[in-house]
Amino acid sequence: MNIKRLINVVLTLVVTMLALLVLAPLVLALINSFKSNGEIYTNILTLPDTWLIDNYVQAFVRTNYLRSLGNTVFLVVLSLTGIVLAASMAGYKLARTKTKLSKILFTVFILSMLIPFHSIMIGLVKVTNDLHVRNSLVGLAVIYVGIGSPMAVFLYHGFTKNIPREIEEAARIDGCGELQVYTKIVFPMLRPITATIIILNALWIWNDFLLPLLMISDKDKYTILLSTKMLFGQYSSDWSKILAILILALLPVVIIYVIMQKHIIKGVSDGAIKS
Amino acid sequence: MKRVNLSLVLFCLPALLLYSTFVLFPAVDGFRLSLTNWNGLNPTSEYVGFSNYRELLEDKMFLQSLLFTTRYVVYMVVLQNGIALFLAIIIESLRKGKRVLRTIFFFPNMISMIIGGFIWMFIFTRVFPQIAEFTGIMLFNESWIGNPEYSFYSILILSLWGSVGYLMIIYIAALQSIPQSLVEAAEIDGANRFQVIWHVVRPLIMNSITIGIFIALSSSFKVFDQVFALTGGGPGTATQVVSINIFMEAFHMRSRYGYASAKAVVLFVLILTITGIQLIVMKQKEVEY
Repeated sequence: MNIKRLINVVLTLVVTMLALLVLAPLVLALINSFKSNGEIYTNILTLPDTWLIDNYVQAFVRTNYLRSLGNTVFLVVLSLTGIVLAASMAGYKLARTKTKLSKILFTVFILSMLIPFHSIMIGLVKVTNDLHVRNSLVGLAVIYVGIGSPMAVFLYHGFTKNIPREIEEAARIDGCGELQVYTKIVFPMLRPITATIIILNALWIWNDFLLPLLMISDKDKYTILLSTKMLFGQYSSDWSKILAILILALLPVVIIYVIMQKHIIKGVSDGAIKS
Repeated sequence: MKRVNLSLVLFCLPALLLYSTFVLFPAVDGFRLSLTNWNGLNPTSEYVGFSNYRELLEDKMFLQSLLFTTRYVVYMVVLQNGIALFLAIIIESLRKGKRVLRTIFFFPNMISMIIGGFIWMFIFTRVFPQIAEFTGIMLFNESWIGNPEYSFYSILILSLWGSVGYLMIIYIAALQSIPQSLVEAAEIDGANRFQVIWHVVRPLIMNSITIGIFIALSSSFKVFDQVFALTGGGPGTATQVVSINIFMEAFHMRSRYGYASAKAVVLFVLILTITGIQLIVMKQKEVEY
């Protein structure tokens, strides 16, 4: 019995140590972001002697923070709206229709979940050039809807199958048209899976780097990641400024995670298990 | 067209249209391009048959990036799943602090690996040398970014830091779904902790292990951000993974879009084959209860 308790204590300690190690890089980045470069060179592991807010002022200005934050929020919200609307319509109808065509369409949607982004990247650059949707945030959002829809269709399809049809039938008898049945009856009932889809896709689009890198070239259309990356290149080893930029880039994610961590973790685990 | 099908098509139209334009068409077009010598600028290109693919077989840089990626994938699949499972089992067995620990371990998963990569670059290039000075442990004084033998492990550390929490969440969910009665029954029969884990828990979470390995396999074959942020594929091309190699070939080095497309097709076939085999093999090992 005592050995068992000892093992428990040791394991708890190991896990706690690991948790601290996971946080360590973030904490070190945070405390050093308030130091001068000189102090970073000499005392990297201690709290700053004087807390330099100036690093943050400069980072805020140089990244054009509000602008790139606004761009990112705009991009994510627009993409999510598109994905939720387009995919819920398709997923719901595919689950309710039992014809050969519905099977074919569903298979076509599923198929793409196997294609890695790097395999469509070159064709995508070409097609967006031809369609003149490059270097536009709206264009980028539309592309995200195209890439993000299949997975969402799949999740909506699975969820709809478990909703009883009777309510829709009743609404039809009361004279609702197809579109009304969808907007008034079905869409509200899809809410739990919509939440999961929003969480999964928000995480993906917010943190996606390669597609915006390929699509956006104007500085005033940069997302947070793009402006961070560009400045990182310019400041190469001026760590006191870079760290402030990195912390600013992390800030929105940290705030959202602190507020919504329960929902986020649930959404992520639901999403992974269902797909 | 039948009325049901008409309404089906109308409801699917927006998703289908965007998906065809931005996924299906580029994928098919990518294959077509892989048979040409298109350079990204010229409006025209010549059909060159499979010569791009023949060239691939002798492209030392590409083969080296394949090898490097494979090594990375093997390490990731084992470590990402192993550590995630270890954490999940221990955290689930704790009485206190479950939620805090879960929250902490998952947190890096929220962070873009570009930002995470830059933060770790700071750790490897600035913090490590000072730790070495402090403790005298010379391991910290190695060139963790500049020396390819070590930068492989830096990339690995960054990737594990960013991804273990995700699988841990999946494994915790799996552990929570195990009927407590089964575990208790085994304990009454005198099974110790490891026997319970091996003979009761393991078969019941096989389904999740299949998912976990699948996720690790497909995501690490596609790894890009981590390498891009930390080493950029360097020094030279020593840490170049396949996705970086394709990216450089098309957009940075020589604008050989046709040739890069051939590489992209190879990556696709590779991921498809390997994950396909994995799913088929592992599905046979799952049990129902």
